[in-house]
Amino acid sequence: MLKHDVVVVGAGLAGQRAALAAVEAGCDVAVVSKLHPLRSHSGAAQGGINAAVGKEDSVDTHIYDTVKGSDYLGDQDSIELFCREAGPTVVEMEHFGTIFSRAPDGTLARRPFGGAGFPRTIYAADRTGLALLQALWEHLGTVHFQLYEEWALTQLVVRDGRVHGIVALDRRRGEFVQIGAKAVVLATGPFGRVYGRTTNAHSCTGDGVAAAYTAGAALKDMEFVQFHPTALMETAILITEGARGEGGILKNGQGERFMSRYAPHVLELASRDVVSRAIVTEVLEGRGFPGGYVHLELMHLGKEKIESRLQEICDFARSFAGIDPVTEPIPVYPAQHYMMGGIGTDAQGATNIRGLYSAGEAACVSIHGANRLGGNSLLETLVFGKFAGAAAAAYASSAAPPEIREAELDGVTAPWRAWSSRTDGEDPSTLRAEMQATMGRYAGIYRNEADLLEGLRRIRALKERYRNVRVVDQSKVYNVNLTDAFETGYMLDLAEVILVGAYARTESRGAHSRTDYPKRDDAKWMKHTIAVRGAEGPQLSYAPVAYTRWEPKERVY
Amino acid sequence: MTEATVKATFDIYRFDPGHDRAPRYQRYTLDLPPHTPVLTALLKIRAEVDPSLALRYSCRSAICGSCAMQVNSKSRLACETQIGPELARDGRIVIEPMRNQAVLRDLVVEQEPFWRNYDRIRPHLILDPRHPMPEGRENPMTTEEVEQFKETPRCIACAACFSACPAVEADPAFPGPMALAKLYRFVVDPRDQGHQDRLMRIQPDGLWLCLRCHLCTEACPKDVRPSERIRDLKEMAVAVQGGTEHGSKHAVGFKDNIRDRGVLNEMKLVRQTSGLVGVLEQLPQGLHIVRKKREILRAPHRIEGMDEVEKIYEALDRPEEKP
Repeated sequence: MLKHDVVVVGAGLAGQRAALAAVEAGCDVAVVSKLHPLRSHSGAAQGGINAAVGKEDSVDTHIYDTVKGSDYLGDQDSIELFCREAGPTVVEMEHFGTIFSRAPDGTLARRPFGGAGFPRTIYAADRTGLALLQALWEHLGTVHFQLYEEWALTQLVVRDGRVHGIVALDRRRGEFVQIGAKAVVLATGPFGRVYGRTTNAHSCTGDGVAAAYTAGAALKDMEFVQFHPTALMETAILITEGARGEGGILKNGQGERFMSRYAPHVLELASRDVVSRAIVTEVLEGRGFPGGYVHLELMHLGKEKIESRLQEICDFARSFAGIDPVTEPIPVYPAQHYMMGGIGTDAQGATNIRGLYSAGEAACVSIHGANRLGGNSLLETLVFGKFAGAAAAAYASSAAPPEIREAELDGVTAPWRAWSSRTDGEDPSTLRAEMQATMGRYAGIYRNEADLLEGLRRIRALKERYRNVRVVDQSKVYNVNLTDAFETGYMLDLAEVILVGAYARTESRGAHSRTDYPKRDDAKWMKHTIAVRGAEGPQLSYAPVAYTRWEPKERVY
Repeated sequence: MTEATVKATFDIYRFDPGHDRAPRYQRYTLDLPPHTPVLTALLKIRAEVDPSLALRYSCRSAICGSCAMQVNSKSRLACETQIGPELARDGRIVIEPMRNQAVLRDLVVEQEPFWRNYDRIRPHLILDPRHPMPEGRENPMTTEEVEQFKETPRCIACAACFSACPAVEADPAFPGPMALAKLYRFVVDPRDQGHQDRLMRIQPDGLWLCLRCHLCTEACPKDVRPSERIRDLKEMAVAVQGGTEHGSKHAVGFKDNIRDRGVLNEMKLVRQTSGLVGVLEQLPQGLHIVRKKREILRAPHRIEGMDEVEKIYEALDRPEEKP
């Protein structure tokens, strides 16, 4: 019987930072990850990490920018805490060995980013996530913990409102295993693969968020889905906001620098929801390029700057789109990129289930509110990863031992094993493809009541068909067909929550744009959506937003 | 946008240790646009033809390092290898698991030895309490110091280099290109206090087993150039320790040996590298070579054009003009 004080699920930046904090608090810690930790999606983050460390910048400005970026849905007390932690967090990562880009005076280089009053995004060329992930993983190698590599979470064990551990699939052996834990930290990242056109990795399937939802955890603000303005036209591969931060410009099919119509002061460096809507509007109104996209131009920055500061995206454009950004514009169009919503937590990562914590993109504190600013997500993983790990360790130090009933494992896994013994039924990839098409069509950047209802009808029909999902692959070893089945089920649950929340929210705020309710409605909707699983699907309630110093204003960039 | 497609034939290595006695190749034929990435094609096969094909994949944008495999015998990332050029060159696409790593199933390999080698080089900053980190602020680092890392921070640990490396295949004691490129990254880090110790330890620990074939550099999808960094490590190791290790003595001996006559004196090189005891140890092998190649016993004549050789050495001894 495997047992640990703290089990961290997910080994990206948030999970690793949580594990480090729990180890430092003296706990016996295990990390469960369906990928090798260095393969985590944190490594795909390009542009940078925000910290107001420049002389002309201030923490207060970072707080204000984040509050405004959130369209006043972010909790201001948590945002204040978050921004104050930024400087020490970045310094700590430098001390752990991160190789950051440097200014001529040897300090950390900073670049401008969307929605930010000052250049405060610290970076490592355009592979900041990779640089942080390497340094944190290598630092974590100096402390003791247990790694369960390529184990996928299949269930949380929750009894009497308290977590007792997890059930996971050991992907190499094909066995389901129970791990007892006094506390569990879910840091499983996002669920962007609910959409087909996404910058997210194939593995971003919301395993932890869905398992928490199934176990009774409250999800928060799930309807707020960020679409990144600049993804490669054909493949949706991310082109960092840093490209615009370095001076890249957007042009429509008529050669116009159209952002002047949408954000007259900061143009391309408006926040992501604004730029994405602008691109979609240009295309819908017939000013895009044939095929429906716009151009991101970098040529004027010169070969040297492009190849040194934007090295990875240069490679991406060359190898995935056959475009050389030094000499040609890059065809781009928005793609799903980030989930503002997730498992509802407080600023210490605690959920409504005792012993269950969450951090990173899986969680919703909320600091991003209705729209996240670029450069704040890497910071979020590290700040709240550390807090959640420390809080889980503190809880574990006084919690009773977990109660794992080994005899129950057979019953728990029976429905999953049944997938493999069916002789008819549908392959999970069929259902996944239809879900992705549905979400892109009915719950995209612009939404309305009729679309959302139709989307919901279709997702519920898919959930019905999922009851008859079939796993053809009979092998025990590395059965991708089986993990596909789990992931598809998770995402169908989460897609439903997104739709129900979006349908109910009859206003436009941040990334949630209702064409039938185009205005922000503070009187009615300045509140968080809380979704709990009920017998008939998600049950919604609402929670107040925390205010400190910033009164809601109209957002102009 | 409708696009011309090509008929793409894939021969994919299949092996499930639970069911198959031996590996087999399964053929799949699909119509696809020529710029389709191999990974996209494999996922299409999984979704539409055969869900039992096992492989690792995640980001599909050459940054997570999951999908390294052999595409027409080259170790590549499937996500950034397009089918068009492969079909044009070889007429079909043979997909096999990476080399030098045991197959778990189909295209999924056991990576434990790869990660173990990475851990072995102590991939973290080694600190010295006499040089504490600056309190509350970052270590300053000049642009020149950042440039010393070369392209090593780009490494995504995909193991394509490990798969391509004949030294890894020949000798499990060789840490492999990725681990050595990572070692270089720490040796040149101005924050690291373990430079000398790292360079001393790596010599008996496999540094000199590199064959200098540069297949790792050819395989690397991120242009990390491991073989060039291994060359740098060797130079730094000799500078720190002098030619006292077998491998370094061989390299230094080689250089002095050629300087003498412009051509290798192999008898002398064995002495320089291994000493008299070493010569005796290698006697049986030596006699075997002498039987096949009698002229090895004679010291070679100085070659014509020694002045050119001398010029090369002069250039080598001026470090700032090193090619």
